[in-house]
Amino acid sequence: MIELREAKKWFRSGGEKVPVLRGVNLRVEQGEYVAIMGKSGSGKSTLLNLLGTLDTLDGGEYELAGKAVHKMSKRKRAALRNKEIGFVFQHFHLIPNLSVYHNVMLPLTYSKRRWSKKRERVMDLLEQVGLAHKKRQKPSRLSGGEKQRVAIARALVNEPGLILADEPTGSLDEETTESVLHLLDRVHKDGATILVITHDMEVAKRAERILFLKNGVLEEWSDEAAYRV
Amino acid sequence: MKLLTGFKLAWFGLWSNRFRVLFAMMGVVIGMFAVIVLSAIAIGVKDTMMKQMGGLGAEQILVIPGRVLDTTSGQKDLLSGLTSVPSTLTYEDAKAVEEVENVRSVTPQLETVSFVQWGEGEGTQRLQAAVVGSTDQYARVQHAELAEGRFFTKEEQEKKAKVIVLGSNIHDGLLGKEQVPEESRDGGTPEAEPKPWWQRLLGTVTGQASAEEKAESLVGKDVMIGETSYRVIGVLAPNATLGSSTDNNVVMPIETALVQTDMKNLTKMVVEAESTAVIDQVDVDVFSAIKENHQEIDFSVVKQDQMLEALDRVTSILQVMLAGITLTALVISGTGIMNVMVMSVRERTREIGIRKALGATTFEVMVQFFFETVLLCLLGGVIGLGLGYAFVEVWNANVSIFSLVLPMWAVKLALYSSVVVGTLFGIYPALKAARMNPSKALRFE
Repeated sequence: MIELREAKKWFRSGGEKVPVLRGVNLRVEQGEYVAIMGKSGSGKSTLLNLLGTLDTLDGGEYELAGKAVHKMSKRKRAALRNKEIGFVFQHFHLIPNLSVYHNVMLPLTYSKRRWSKKRERVMDLLEQVGLAHKKRQKPSRLSGGEKQRVAIARALVNEPGLILADEPTGSLDEETTESVLHLLDRVHKDGATILVITHDMEVAKRAERILFLKNGVLEEWSDEAAYRV
Repeated sequence: MKLLTGFKLAWFGLWSNRFRVLFAMMGVVIGMFAVIVLSAIAIGVKDTMMKQMGGLGAEQILVIPGRVLDTTSGQKDLLSGLTSVPSTLTYEDAKAVEEVENVRSVTPQLETVSFVQWGEGEGTQRLQAAVVGSTDQYARVQHAELAEGRFFTKEEQEKKAKVIVLGSNIHDGLLGKEQVPEESRDGGTPEAEPKPWWQRLLGTVTGQASAEEKAESLVGKDVMIGETSYRVIGVLAPNATLGSSTDNNVVMPIETALVQTDMKNLTKMVVEAESTAVIDQVDVDVFSAIKENHQEIDFSVVKQDQMLEALDRVTSILQVMLAGITLTALVISGTGIMNVMVMSVRERTREIGIRKALGATTFEVMVQFFFETVLLCLLGGVIGLGLGYAFVEVWNANVSIFSLVLPMWAVKLALYSSVVVGTLFGIYPALKAARMNPSKALRFE
């Protein structure tokens, strides 16, 4: 499903190249639930942007669903993103002027697939996350947990193979964290590949595999890594 | 993504930000309103003047005092080549012109200013009026209609009858209609509803304040001009308009005017040829006929087409001015829109990031923001057009000094302009939005 080989990424600061990812190798199989942990500034979000095709590699190769992402044009990456990836962000990233319904509908607007029953699809997902009754409300009227449930519904609407979640419970309290994680568990059980980036061990423990990002490379989980977290 | 979807997204984007859109649109609305109203005024003025001059008729020739100099191209320069000299045209000249072959009619006019008086004792009304001496053809030539009574006949003209036809303002003024308060009116007619302030104001501007409010008439009554008494036989309908109005005139037969007043020289003479086919020959012959009575050429013979040509040059200045205003309005409103859209793109950076994260391509984001600007301008154009149209309608319903004319080309121009403005000034914000890096846009605070 996901294969990163010697992935490199650097940023420019004061005219100098600052490496963030120094050669990341990652392989995630279809239907896996993987958590990536790391300290603040370790490059977790950069890695997620690369995996989500929001950013491009400065070196290495990236294959997603059998397609060489590193060779793709912007347009093709956008299409791949729309079809194969669902995002769940820490700050929800819902469009404030759109209703709950239209926020969930948004990925279908850009979809190349022919959806015969878009309305039903959106409403079905809103039912699943328990927010069908709030479909006309603007995100500003929702609680943090509700916003994240809307974001999850939006991530699932195009039936993507991969869900990328960046600190999905970072802005939630304990109770709503549990409900959101439970929702992700359900999505995983339905067959989706889930890759969660978090620094919260309780969130990471829900995954089948935990990876640790340090000094720009990924390490398999170990007690030493756990200690560092 | 189909263009229709782009349009839907743009519409949705506008609707979601409707309050900001409303303010952003104001520039276009005001710009388009100004373009529409100014177009209507410019074309209205042109049409009114064209009608007045064109009303002369293609087979008519105007003889006026003074010499109209020729331009370098040999054409009469009616705009700047008219020399100002006292009139030496006389009624004898008019008689001479009547003898010219292929001349159907001659309508000489002489004018002076005098006091007109009616009533006795404290109720006496005394007004200054333009006293015009002319023939029975005057009303036809001036396009003046009678409100009541009749115009004088050729027989009355030849008999030097002391009969006059009053302009509407003079008639109303002599009756003191404007001074008479509503309460002091006779009879039991129900009081008319008071007019709103703007109608009263417009009424004042057009001089029609209370023309219909009085039933009394001076037809059949005698009024004094100087020391002489004249019988009022008719009243002209109001024809307040640009340039020449008969509202403040008192018209009497020219033969009477020559005897009863000290007027001797004509202010103008309208000569009518048998047909347009002979107009050029009549033009030459009229000139020759008058020249025989004059030692020098101190008069001019002007055909309708020459006047229209001069007028066309005047109105072309209006058109250039209009084009300038339109261009200025477009640039100002376009710059305003672009400013707002650039601000909007900046404010919606995160939204753009979200859209891109969800699969929107560079082109799709560009189309959305581009159509937003075009729709914004088109909507502003339509509203401005609607307001302009309403203004023209209200003006035409209440103001008779001249009509505003809103031709279809002006409507199309306004709509096309608003689309052009949206297109030109929408490109930059759209490109700015489209080129955003999604990962950076998502981090935007």
